[in-house]
Amino acid sequence: MFANKTTNLSLAFLLVGVISFIFADLSISTLHPFLETGKFFGSIVNINFNNADYVIEALLNTITIAIISIAISAVLGFFFAIVFKNLVIRIGLAFTRAIHELFWALIFLQIFGLNTLSAVLAIIIPYSAILGKVYAEILEENDHFPEELRGRDRVSYFLYTLLPDAFPHIVAYTLYRFECALRSTAILGFVGITTLGYHLSSFFMQGYYEDVWLILILFYIVIATIKYWFNKYTFIPAIIASFVYVKEWGELNMDNLIRFFTSDIVPAPFKHDYTIERTTQWFSNLFFDEIMVGVFNTIVLTQLALVLTAIFALVFFPIVSKKFAKIPFIGHIFLVVLRSTPEYILAYIFLQLFGPSMLPAALALMLHNGAIISFLIGNQSNKMILRQDSTKRKIELYFYEVLPRIYSQFLAFLFYRWEIIMRESAILGILGVATLGFFIDSAIADFRLDKMFLLLIVTALLNIAIDLISKKSRDYLKVDKPTSSCGCSLK
Amino acid sequence: MAFNLQNHNISYGDINVLQNINLSIQKGEKIALLGRSGSGKSTLLKNLFEMQKENTSYIPQELGLVNNLSVFHNVYIALLDKNSTFYNIRNLIKPVKSEVLNTEDILDGLFLKDKIFSKVSNLSGGQKQRTAIARSLNSDKAILLADEPISALDQNLSQVVMDTVNQKFETVVCALHNVEVALKNFDRVIGLSGGTVIIDKKSSEITQEDTSTLYDVCK
Repeated sequence: MFANKTTNLSLAFLLVGVISFIFADLSISTLHPFLETGKFFGSIVNINFNNADYVIEALLNTITIAIISIAISAVLGFFFAIVFKNLVIRIGLAFTRAIHELFWALIFLQIFGLNTLSAVLAIIIPYSAILGKVYAEILEENDHFPEELRGRDRVSYFLYTLLPDAFPHIVAYTLYRFECALRSTAILGFVGITTLGYHLSSFFMQGYYEDVWLILILFYIVIATIKYWFNKYTFIPAIIASFVYVKEWGELNMDNLIRFFTSDIVPAPFKHDYTIERTTQWFSNLFFDEIMVGVFNTIVLTQLALVLTAIFALVFFPIVSKKFAKIPFIGHIFLVVLRSTPEYILAYIFLQLFGPSMLPAALALMLHNGAIISFLIGNQSNKMILRQDSTKRKIELYFYEVLPRIYSQFLAFLFYRWEIIMRESAILGILGVATLGFFIDSAIADFRLDKMFLLLIVTALLNIAIDLISKKSRDYLKVDKPTSSCGCSLK
Repeated sequence: MAFNLQNHNISYGDINVLQNINLSIQKGEKIALLGRSGSGKSTLLKNLFEMQKENTSYIPQELGLVNNLSVFHNVYIALLDKNSTFYNIRNLIKPVKSEVLNTEDILDGLFLKDKIFSKVSNLSGGQKQRTAIARSLNSDKAILLADEPISALDQNLSQVVMDTVNQKFETVVCALHNVEVALKNFDRVIGLSGGTVIIDKKSSEITQEDTSTLYDVCK
């Protein structure tokens, strides 16, 4: 049915997923998980509007921080894209984008405190690196002008022969990324910035599910209507308005910044001149008790979530496919809601309902990423033209006509999400699963920033490794697609 | 002399594209290059262009147009190296009046004036070819190297284009696959087959036999 390569690769991933399943702790520890779940979903009918004023304020904070961050990231990203051929820049960007925005937020909180500046920097640093990489890819893909016709004035030739064809794709990708920036900004609330996540977590902890729903529904409305209020006509006034709206930026504390780099992150053994014996002890404790455990758990969660995502996508894409569903619109709404909810919020909700284990994180990653991939392959299946006399029986249609045609594309989509799932797996440690994020969060709580710094480097390296393996797998399958044709919601 | 090739060879990897080309082209000559696809016409033209970049306007077969720009801006690209970067940026954002008038003149001669501010992506194949030709006409180069510039044009338009370029450029080397058009519009005809020159004569000296050979190589 499939080419050998896709079967081999799928089986290899499935095997790793099953092994991860054996190692993963997926227990439910709350006393009445289903009672609590029922209570949560039941309260959707009693949405509480009494706290709407400060929820709206948090919503405006979220939107303005996201707008400012994406605007600055786009400018920086464009600059990075132009110099992307430089190896130092490429490696630098690979590092900064491999570290999740929540980690960046935790770092900046230490340096500049709890303010808008920290929030904006936390988004800008990874986002400008992501935009830089993707813009560079878009520019390369749209470089159709014959090399021999290019003249001496490089700037003019860039503006006339390359930018016009690439620009629409750059705008489309930036707008897609704006949606991501809104999600990222919302979850910055979980570390104390007063965006939506801040109130979401406090309402949840107090069991005020009626208020939680208000936040979630407002957030869905904002995400679903982005194209009406943030588009090519409104973006300039929106950026200006956002800068005007933000009054309290916070202070750029240079002393703290210098102390952070020259003292805080210097490993304790060097700072305090430990003996060799103690130094070895320090590093081996860190390595065996934290790095090894963290890396192992991060990989287990990632691989498990990847397989779950794959299964979810294969089961659910028919609900948005015209080939299978009678009313694909309903399926669309279901997937859009899942896709719009940040993994972190999903994980947080499941954590409250089921208690701490890998289960909440795995479910959250499956739902969010599975929804994105279902949506994409559902759309692909709509474009497929079948013979008039092809089977009308759904199961046969699925296995004989549709699946074989989309399968390698589906794998490619999955590989694009792999790196993102890994980033998220690490960060979900903050919620209590012992992935790398857990140890980073604890290091910060104990003010051991030197440890935090080393753990972040390990996290970044792990991510870069996954990125390379994913690239290799796509090359092996020969399924790399141009960024501008499909990759938008994937990278 | 415009170009001079002595025992010229070009190969990509193991494949010899051009072999033993002996060719001298004088200033003022109008030359048609005939041959079927794969005969080495495009390679020869590109090679000639590399030899005389400063002096030459070159229309590659794929035209080198920017799809998302207007016809006006595509025609203006010929002047990018001539004007300052600042002027170029200004003209990109808001077309400069004098440039528009100048471009209108050129486009008028090619029956394309009404499309001046259309995006190239919305044009037909023939309109795209004329846009590429207009860009060359907008340059102040003395030599034109054109790779099948009229393949999508009807007989009338082809004639207009041939007359215009032969008048504007001192020296023209134009790849074609139509023997009559070649003999009618050019003083010299070069037939290429399998990377070698098989005919190189003045149009007036072409015999009946040569004509049938040319028909053969263009088939």
